[in-house]
Formats: sequence, C-alpha cells, structure tokens
Amino acid sequence: MSAGNSFTVEVSAGPASDTSSRVLARVGAVALTGLAGAMVTAEAVVAGGLPQIRIVGLPDATVREAADRIRSACQQSAFSLPGAKVVVNLAPAGIRKVGPGFDLPIALAVLCAAGHIPPDRLDGIVAWGEVGLDGGVSPSAGTLPVATAARRNGAGRLMVASQALAEAALVAGLDVVGVDSLRDAVAVAAGHRSGARPGPVAVSHSPHGPDLAAVRGQHVARRCLELAAVGGHHMLMVGPPGCGKSMLARRLPSILPPLAHEEALEVAAIRSIMGERVRLDLRPPFRDPHHATSTAGLIGGGSGVARPGEVSRAHRGVLFLDEVLETPRATLDALREPLETGRVVLVRSQSRVTYPAAVQLVAAANPCPCGRAGAAGRPCTCRPDQVARHRSRLSGPLLDRIDLHLAMEPVSQDVLVGPSSGESSDVVAARVVAARALATSRWSEFGAQPSGPRARMLTRDVSSDAVRASTGRPAQRRLARAIEAFGWSARAFDRCLRVARTIADVDGRDRVEPADVDEAVAHRVDLDGPS
Amino acid sequence: MIAADPGATTRAGGASWAHVAAAGTDPQALAGIVERAAADPRGFATDWRRALHTDDPGSAIRAAGTQAVLPSPTGQRVAQAWSEGCVRVALAGDPAMPERLVATSAQPPWLAIRGAVRRRDTPAVAIVGSRRASAYGRGIAAWLAEAAGAAGVHVVSGGAVGIDAAAHGAALDTDGGTTVVLGCGHDVAYPRPHAGPGKLFERVVDAGGALVSESLPHEPPRPWRVRSRNRLIAALVDVVVVVEGGSRSGSLVTATWAADYGITVLAVPGDVRAPGSGAPLRLLRDGAGVCGSPDDLLAALPQGIDRARDDVAGGAVPDGPATSGLVASSLPEAAAAVLAEAWPRPVTMADLAAQSNVAAGTLLAAITAAQVAGQVTRDLDGLRLCRDPHR
Repeated sequence: MSAGNSFTVEVSAGPASDTSSRVLARVGAVALTGLAGAMVTAEAVVAGGLPQIRIVGLPDATVREAADRIRSACQQSAFSLPGAKVVVNLAPAGIRKVGPGFDLPIALAVLCAAGHIPPDRLDGIVAWGEVGLDGGVSPSAGTLPVATAARRNGAGRLMVASQALAEAALVAGLDVVGVDSLRDAVAVAAGHRSGARPGPVAVSHSPHGPDLAAVRGQHVARRCLELAAVGGHHMLMVGPPGCGKSMLARRLPSILPPLAHEEALEVAAIRSIMGERVRLDLRPPFRDPHHATSTAGLIGGGSGVARPGEVSRAHRGVLFLDEVLETPRATLDALREPLETGRVVLVRSQSRVTYPAAVQLVAAANPCPCGRAGAAGRPCTCRPDQVARHRSRLSGPLLDRIDLHLAMEPVSQDVLVGPSSGESSDVVAARVVAARALATSRWSEFGAQPSGPRARMLTRDVSSDAVRASTGRPAQRRLARAIEAFGWSARAFDRCLRVARTIADVDGRDRVEPADVDEAVAHRVDLDGPS
Repeated sequence: MIAADPGATTRAGGASWAHVAAAGTDPQALAGIVERAAADPRGFATDWRRALHTDDPGSAIRAAGTQAVLPSPTGQRVAQAWSEGCVRVALAGDPAMPERLVATSAQPPWLAIRGAVRRRDTPAVAIVGSRRASAYGRGIAAWLAEAAGAAGVHVVSGGAVGIDAAAHGAALDTDGGTTVVLGCGHDVAYPRPHAGPGKLFERVVDAGGALVSESLPHEPPRPWRVRSRNRLIAALVDVVVVVEGGSRSGSLVTATWAADYGITVLAVPGDVRAPGSGAPLRLLRDGAGVCGSPDDLLAALPQGIDRARDDVAGGAVPDGPATSGLVASSLPEAAAAVLAEAWPRPVTMADLAAQSNVAAGTLLAAITAAQVAGQVTRDLDGLRLCRDPHR
C-alpha cells in the first residue's frame, strides 16, 4: 500500500526506462454513458505482490474480466508479464466503466508497465477494442461515439480493431489506426509498424427497400404518403386487414430525402452503441417493432445505463407501429415526449442518458377488433362498446400529434389485376426533395426554430405561429368553417393548417389556397366515424 | 307563457317549477306529481297504472299528486335540473302533451321536452335499429331519414349510437326535422358520444328538433327504461321502420308496440347471413312490409305522401334539382357522375379516385367542400351523395 504513494512521485520525475517496476503507463480510453463519452486514463504499474492483474477504478464485471483475457492473450502473444502484481487504475475512478472495449487500453498499459512499450510512445493514444484469449483484437460496441469523444477531447490517435476502422474513420480529423492482434498493437504503439489505415469513407445512399411502383391504385394513399414525406407529418392508417397498410408504410423511406452527413452520423452512433456494423448510410432508418414491444423496448431502458429503444433506433427515419391499437396504451403514451422533443431522456440510478429520437411515426390499425368494419361483403361483428374501447387505446394527446389520418379501403379486383400504373419511388422522391427545399428555405426566412435537437426544419415541427404567419387569412377562415362543420376540436386547426402548408409546398406554391385547406381536412378522417 | 302561480313559487324549488312547466301545465300540479313520484316511485307507478284505466288519466293522477307529500329536497333538485337544462314538462292531459301519446295508451304521467314537438298532423316515421350497426345499416338509415325529412316527414328515433344516430343526423337539417326519445333523464350524458356541446343532441335541438324523456332528469338508462321508451317511439309516429338489429334487438320491442297501436311496421332486408339482419328478417316473416327505398316508406304513410310531395319540397330548396346543383357546385363532374351512378350505394375514396380519374389532391379538396356544403356524407364504407341525384 505504501508503494502506491511512491509511484506518483516517480511519475512526476519523468519516464523511467531502466526498470520496469517503476514505470507508470498511461493509455487513453473513453467511458460511454449512452452516446456521451468521458475521457478515462488506464494507468498501470507493477506493484509488489503475487503475480496477477488487478483492475480498480469502478470497473463493471465485463471490465474486471479483462484481467483474465489479457493474461491469456499476453501468453499467446509471447509477451512476458512481470512476476508480480500489476495494478491497473481507470481514472477518474468515479465514473463507471462498462464494456469489453477497455480490454485494449488496459492491455497496452499492462504491456507498457511490463516494459514492452516505451511509455512516451503511448502519449495521446486512445485505444478501444476487445482482446481475445488468443491475442486477437476485435471490435467492441460504441467505436463511433468513442472516436467522437476522443476527437472532441483532443486525442491525437485512436487505436481500434481493424474491423472497426471504417467506423472510427467516420470522425474527421482523427488519426485512426487499426490493429488485428495484441502483437500488432504493441508493434504499432512502439512505432515498429504503421498499422492499418482507413480507406476512403464509404457512403451508401442507393435507394433501398421496396419501390412505390408496386403499389396499385391507392391514389389517395399515395398522395397522403407524399405529404407525409414532405412535411415529416406523423401518419395513422386505418383500414381492414389486407388493404396495404404496411405495404405502404414500408415504402415511405424510399421517397424520403437522403440524410444529411451529420444526421447519418447520429444514426450511425446509435447503431454503434447497439454493437451493429456501422457504415455511413444516408438512407433513413425504418424500424417496425412488434406491437407487443414493451415500453422499455420502445423508448429505451435497462438498469445501470439505459440502452436506446426502437424510437431512438428509428432516429431520423420512420418508426412504423403496425396494429398500434394492440399496443398497451401506457406504452403508446410514452411516445408522446419523444415525438414532442425529438429525444429521450432516461434516468437510472447511476446515469442520466439522452438519446436522439426525431422520428416520423407511421401507425396502422384495424377499424374495429374484428377488422371488418367498412369492408364490403363481410359484416363486422363487433359490439359498439368493443369498437369504442378498441379506438380509445390511441389516446387523445397522441392522436393530436398525428396530422395525417388515412382511411384505407381494400383495393378492388380490377385494380389488382390491371397494369401497375403508379409512379416509382424515384419520381416521387424528386418531388419530395424539391418541396422540402421550398419549405426549409421558407422556415429559415421566418426565423422559425425547430423544437429539440434537429438538423432540419420540418413543417411538422415549426412553431404554430410560423405556420399561421405563412398562411393567408382566407385559408385560415376556410379552415375554421370546415372544422366547425365537422364538429372538431380547436386542436385540429393547427394540425390541418400544417398539412395545408405542406400541400401548397408539394404543388410548388408559396400561397396556401382554400383548396389546400379543403384537402388537408380530407386527410384528417374522424376515427370515430360519423356523429 | 304561463303566469307564474304564486302558490308554486312558495313550494320547493322556488320559481323553478313555473319555469319548468310547459304551456298550459299547472306548475303546482306538476310539482306535486313529480315530488310524489320521486318520493314514492312504486306507489306512484301503481297510481298511474290505475289512472290509465280511467277515462281521464290526467285528472286521476293529479288527484294522486295533490294528496302527496311535503316539499322535498329531491323535488327541488329535479326542478332545478330541468330548469337548467331548458326542459319544459307537460303533464298527462295537458295541451303540451303530444296528441299522439294521448290517443294511444302510451301516455306517460309527464313528458320532459327540450326543443319543439311537432303537431299531430305532421306525418312522422320512426327509423330504429341496432346500436351495433353496419355501415350498410347506417347508410340505409341515413338515406331513408334524409328522403323522409326532405318530403316533410318528421323522423323519430331513440338517440342511441348506430342506426338511431344515422337517422337523426340525416334528418336534423331537413324540413321534417327529428325528435329523440331518450331512454334516460335529460341530465344523464348517455350515449356519451351524443351528449355535450356541438354533439348530436345539441344539434338536434339547435336545428328545431326535440329531445323528449319520460324519466326524471337524473335517472340512468336501465334496460327496462330504454325498452319502455320504445313504446313512446312507436306511439309518436305513423310508420316504424326497423333497419337493422339482432334477433333480440330492442327494435323488435318498438315494432311490437307499433303493432299493438295499429301502426304500420316496415323492415329493411339485409344480408341474411349477417347478425344484424335477425330483427328485420323476423319481422318480414311475421308480415311486416318491405322497405327497399324511401318510396316504400313514404307510400306506407296514411297521409298518402308520395314523391310528388317530395318534388315540391325539393323544388323549395334554393339550389334546385339535386344533380345539376351538385355538378355545378363543388364536385368535379366525373366524380359526381361516379357517385350518382352508384347511388344509393357508397363508393370508397380509393375507387372514386380510380374511376373518376381526378387527381387525388383535387378530389379530396372537392370532397371536403361538398361535405361542408352538405352534399356528400362519408362513412367507413365510403362516400355517398346526400340527396337522390336522379330527382
């Protein structure tokens, strides 16, 4: 114990290259809390005691287990370890360290303390990767946010597994080097080898998923989908089974504009902490969780540090909730805050994490429990109270956020067998891009600020004052009259006006005409039916 | 309307009873009867049954009322609730009690009326059916009610969701108007979707129709109470049409009462496999008339209203014959033609867009304009013209 004090004295005296027992090795690492990373230093020193590697500094179980992996890896890689205890401290010791990504920095620190790497060669190096028993280095979840944190904190160099090289290289201005094994890592750190360098950043933005051309008929539904793509409006589809609700929803990403670079990085960061393979993908994500998904699964959760839920995994893309009325109401209501603010804040005993969650919600539901209400031919067998209970699952506050309500009907036989006449996704996507450009330039002109951390201003999110200011009085008067005639609440006014604004944008007009308002009203079908 | 009886103002409820009493109804007698009924429902019901067997139930029940009770807080609350709900109450035998009820044995001891009740010589039909209505049933109910109302025929129904609501909704703005016979007190928000500002019941009253009830203001809709009000529906009309209902539907009760009173019963044929066809099917087997169109309904009226009357009423509508008015106003010609051809069947929005070849945006805008103008209605099974385009 008394030895501990003398080390710090030695450190201030500068690097000691002659004797391994006096070296204090330091390697940078990053402790992730959600997407946010804090710089951590893995310090290692050879202390007196029985031969072992002891890790201190609030490691969790995965980090503590690193000791055994590293010991075996060193043996396999023919690195001798000191015949005494090696103490590794992860400083600052107040932050919890989670994940096998700490293996590589700890291993480097241990090997440096053992004299295999000169301590000064490790200055400014941040390492992140998992070490196997055979001495191999493999990628660990969270490489991208680690790289971002390293860059922000002025680290000069990031060493990762070469498989994670492309992911780390997404962060510009950082010297990234990839290694395959512990031997490799030591050679690179010591300067004997240069290590693998990242190639040019690969960007995939080819249209993916199913094409809109396969949708037969459904002119009204297509129109609705296009408006949703332009304004980012949330959308609810109600119709009997088999009328093409999910078919349509799956085609929404194909007409959405490609993501901006920063948006794609946000999406990639979420994928990275989920441990998925990460590329820079400009295609908006599409997530369709099952209706039995729990609240934690949908918005994120877990003990210790909460993990992102489906709503965050759909960030900057589409969250499709099929059979939305089968989802418990409490789970759906949890979506209200993310839809409002574009992010999820999850507080647990040991952490408070914020995940981005700017999603476009597309929900689909049957009109009644048996699903046949409104379908020609087969009568609905539900009691009115069953139908009422079915529909009440979608709470008023959530329903109020959904601008587009689409009542879908089964496609008739002649449309099904006829030639496919619809436009393809490319044609529609081009119109969407043009209309969005119009909207974006107008909102910046209005000085409208989107609420929440968002890169783009969508008509869905701009303040209602801006929406009102950009639509003329005649259109607003027309809307007020229509809403009165339908007996809707005043809340419908704002949502309809946004849709009318989008309709004018789609048609390339700066003025919102009364006809646009009329169409917007038709896109808000009363779920409760007549009277 | 009525000179306030100084005696009444001293009773429980202060001036309330004078406000609540309908034209020609004595507030003091009303107060006595209602307080007795509220204090001793069973004894009062016995008295009323006895009174109904006399030649003049009104006088008989008044006698029961005056032998009643001390002013009670209950009576005061009843008077206040009716008064705040703008309800007028007529006693049996009073001029404000609908003559049709007096003529049959359906007359209740009192009738609480909100809005204006039609005179006896106005032809009237009841359009009744299941709460669990299909879009077909609702569409037919609305079609019949609309045509009947346009021909100056008053539409009576029970104010429930489903068929009743479709009938009231379609008739409320027509010449004929509509009356809701409640199965509960005026103060009870039932059915919930129809109560409250801007909802069906308010709209009925605003459009000149009426809400009537034989219950005290707070009495909830118990099954026996709802079935009992069906007798009022039957007694208030010349023809009862059962649109849709299960084999145990309350609309069969209405039809049975109608048969007792010698009132024509019609039934609308439906899909024989559907559960909602049970009641009409049984009535048709039992000899009810077939109602396949508004013509059948109007022809069944004893006043002998036929479509000639309809044309006169139609001519009185400022926008002239329906087809030309419709095409000229808001719908694109092609879309109007598709809807007119399908009449009275509904057309789904998707089919309308496909068949009329009108761009979706234009079509949707036109549909809203037509809905606001009252030319088109939209239900779960699609869109339908409000008026017969061939007339």
